[in-house]
Amino acid sequence: MRQTYGKLLPGMKLGDLAGKLIVVEGTDGAGRTTQINMLKPWLEELGHAVLDTGMTRSHLAGEGIRRAKEGNNLGRVTQSLFYATDFVDRLENEVIPALRAGFIVLTDRYIYSLIARAIVRGMDPAWIRGIYSAALVPDAVFYLRLDVEQLIPHVIFSRGFDYWESGMDVFPGQDMYENFRSYQAALLAEFDRLSVEFRFETLDASADTKLVFAQLQAKVQRVLEADSRRTYLSRMFEQAPSSATHREERAVTLPRETSTRDHDWAFHPVAANLSPGNGRNMPEHK
Amino acid sequence: MNTGSNMRIGPFEVFYPMGAPAPQLRHNGDHNLPGRLFVVEGIDGSGKSTQLSLLHKWLESKGYGVVFSQWNSSELVKDTTKLGKKKKMLTPATFSLIHATDFADRIERSILPLLKAGAVVLCDRYIYTAFARDVARGMDRRWVRDLYDFAAKPTVAFYFRVPLETAIGRLVTGRDGFKFYEAGLDIGLSDDPTESFRLFQGRIVEEYEKMIPEFGLTVVDATLPVEVQQAQVRQIVKTHLERAKDLRVRP
Repeated sequence: MRQTYGKLLPGMKLGDLAGKLIVVEGTDGAGRTTQINMLKPWLEELGHAVLDTGMTRSHLAGEGIRRAKEGNNLGRVTQSLFYATDFVDRLENEVIPALRAGFIVLTDRYIYSLIARAIVRGMDPAWIRGIYSAALVPDAVFYLRLDVEQLIPHVIFSRGFDYWESGMDVFPGQDMYENFRSYQAALLAEFDRLSVEFRFETLDASADTKLVFAQLQAKVQRVLEADSRRTYLSRMFEQAPSSATHREERAVTLPRETSTRDHDWAFHPVAANLSPGNGRNMPEHK
Repeated sequence: MNTGSNMRIGPFEVFYPMGAPAPQLRHNGDHNLPGRLFVVEGIDGSGKSTQLSLLHKWLESKGYGVVFSQWNSSELVKDTTKLGKKKKMLTPATFSLIHATDFADRIERSILPLLKAGAVVLCDRYIYTAFARDVARGMDRRWVRDLYDFAAKPTVAFYFRVPLETAIGRLVTGRDGFKFYEAGLDIGLSDDPTESFRLFQGRIVEEYEKMIPEFGLTVVDATLPVEVQQAQVRQIVKTHLERAKDLRVRP
């Protein structure tokens, strides 16, 4: 049974999401997009239907975010929420329908990048986690990790400095190089924390692209095999409630950032059939 | 995370320049900014906008620096909201989030700086509108409240209470038809727009009623004559300005 990080959105049903949700995370310039562009045709060749998605690609908010970023007057709370809008639009309109249709969804960044960016911008960790509490728990998170020293040439020598990638909205002063270093180091520190909390599978992204790809292939293969074993088993025991074992398997209680919040729901995974209080009395939107 | 903390990561000294976004400004806690924030709430047709505009004129005539901020009016965000509404792309969750984004932009770039500068800020609809509408659409009550945690607590939040039928009567004579989202047609309560509007606004009223004690909303009986309501509003506003004479703009 697929789960979310604690909340369900109105009309959200998790019972029949047969596909696989695979996240590729990492800081700027870690080669995420390159790897996804290789994974997708490979998976399709194997006969899988693949949807790839990523930040600011929503029909609803993608264009709005791009325009807002051009102006350099996008505040940090506004920014965090604009990205959340983009994320939820894709979650509801792309990711969930694709999973329901049995697709493998490859996502270039996920809530972890968004949480890291928001925290580096001074947002309350509990606040930003709470916003993403309706995100689906993915089947795997592959974290392409680069040290700051390695990341600098990757990003700067290939495409130059970007205002937002250099955290110019975060750090005072006009020195893009200094700001880039500081901002990326802060992000990396946050990522490293999240990688423990959310059990990322970390890959050394400084290795040769082909080597990283081979490692990813093996890891993705394992995710898919785990699936076919499960499917096979549940077919063998057709009437046996498989959800009980799966639930146990997936109901990891994730440690949460210490916070002053009094409520405790934010990041405990929840499956649809476990939360009578959420979503049940809600009308389904069309 | 604390403001201005240094930490060492690899070869770099990393400085976190920002603390939590104005943590003293949680909507459930008072702010100590010199400005004053008055907001009006109520369903469509409650007459709140009329009351706010009368209050605006009165405050200006008294020499206060008054700034008005409308729900859903951020230059940065409103095109996205418009797109979502026009193409009917919004779900309860994205409806909630895009309105929070709009509000965040107005808070960050307008309302908070103005309150710091000592202005009188008037808002036609505030976070309570989001709480009422989003929960009426099925969003989780706690989630929506936490979402707006960055809002400043109003000096006074007026709730213009009016029976649903009175409000609908005012609206039906005032314009033709209801819009898709304002009638809650997105959540399929009824195919008939007027009926859907009635059901949806009924849910919103229920939410408002719950929020009166929760947030200490100041109730105004919106069935009273306009002049009587305005006199009550001015009376209350006045008490919050007495100790803030320096808010007045000197020519």
